[in-house]
Order: sequence, then C-alpha cells, then structure tokens
Amino acid sequence: MVYITSWDEFVERSVQLFRADPNSTRYAMKYRHSEGKLVLKVTDNIQCLKFKTDQTQDAKKMEKLNNIFFTLMARGPDADISEVTGKEQMETQATKRGRGRKQ
Amino acid sequence: MVLLQPDPFLNELTSMFEHSTEKGSVWVTLKRSSLKSKVQRNKMKTAGEPLDYRCLIRATNGKKTISTSVGAKDHQKFQASYATILKAHMTALKKRERKDKKKAADATTNKKDGESSKKRPKKV
Repeated sequence: MVYITSWDEFVERSVQLFRADPNSTRYAMKYRHSEGKLVLKVTDNIQCLKFKTDQTQDAKKMEKLNNIFFTLMARGPDADISEVTGKEQMETQATKRGRGRKQ
Repeated sequence: MVLLQPDPFLNELTSMFEHSTEKGSVWVTLKRSSLKSKVQRNKMKTAGEPLDYRCLIRATNGKKTISTSVGAKDHQKFQASYATILKAHMTALKKRERKDKKKAADATTNKKDGESSKKRPKKV
C-alpha cells in the first residue's frame, strides 16, 4: 500500500492508472466521522495508491477528483476532463462554429 | 447487495452518513462497468461492439451495502447531488488552523536569521 503525500501526484498517478486499464481500476473512499479521517484508494488490483487526510481542504480537492472519475468512468477513458473546466471549454467551442462574421 | 436507482441510492447514502457519526465508517467505491457478463461482452465484440459503459457506485457502512449505476447522461446530475451530500456530512475534518499557526511561527524565526545574513552580500 503506497500512501502518497502530495495531492497532485496522487491525482496524476490515479488518472494514469485508470487510463492504462479502465476496466479493472476502481476508486474507493472511506470516511470515519468518529476519527475525522478520510482515506482514498485507487487500485487496478496490481498497483495500489492511497491518500489519507483529516483536512477539510482535501475534502474539497477530493470533490474535484470525484468529478474527474465520474466523467472518465461514465464517458470513457478518453474523455476530455481538464478538471471539469474541459467540459465548459468544449461547449463554448461548439457555439463558436455557428457565429460567422457578416461583412 | 441492493441495487437502487440513483435518487433512492442518494437518500440511503445520506441516512448511512447520519447513522455513522458516533462510530463506524462509510465506504464509497466507484468503478467502470458495462454490467454485462463475459459471454455477452464477447458476443457484442464479435458483432460490432456498441458496449455502453456505466459508472458503478457502491456504498457500505460495514453491515449494509447499497449500489447504483450511472450512465453518461445522468452522471453530471448525480455527481452534483453526491458532492452536496459529502460536503454536508464531512464536517469532522480539521480546518487549516495548525498550518497557519506553524507558518506564522516559522516565518518569524526565519526572518530574524534570514535578514541579517542576506543583506550583507547585497551591500557589497
């Protein structure tokens, strides 16, 4: 069990792990209110990455990671995530096509 | 293992969080799955492969397990509600107080040493 100390490293490696094998990679979260602890685990049954915390700020970061995983898992590993802002960018690009310059 | 629709699942998840505040944990697992058996998957592969993957979400409090599956269309709505539930219940986590106190303490001690040593080479 590898406990990773840097949040960004945890996010990057877990997304890589998922993209390498989307069908066997899972993301688990355990929350204990009595201890005030949150543990995240991403594994593909070969490698395992873990992250533990007791900080509220990490819970907020975890929400973003949840969004990333939801998008990846529901839409497919090639989905454009860019931390949720990618979705908004794709929408704006689509609308730009319609607008042409009237000269 | 109880398979529910997304909305009842969220209600059950909320009650799980509420009941495990004194002791116990809540586990939530996310996994991608097509929810079809291997035989069906192989058949679809040879045919043309329009495999639709869904996101499988499982939650347990150690005694009871509930699950739901969310597809590409409803995943955004689900993740918004899910995020709200988590924010509402993860109140036992600590805020950034200790780090700020430590930073303030370190800053004052470092400044005293740093200023005296750094300024001398600049003058020359």
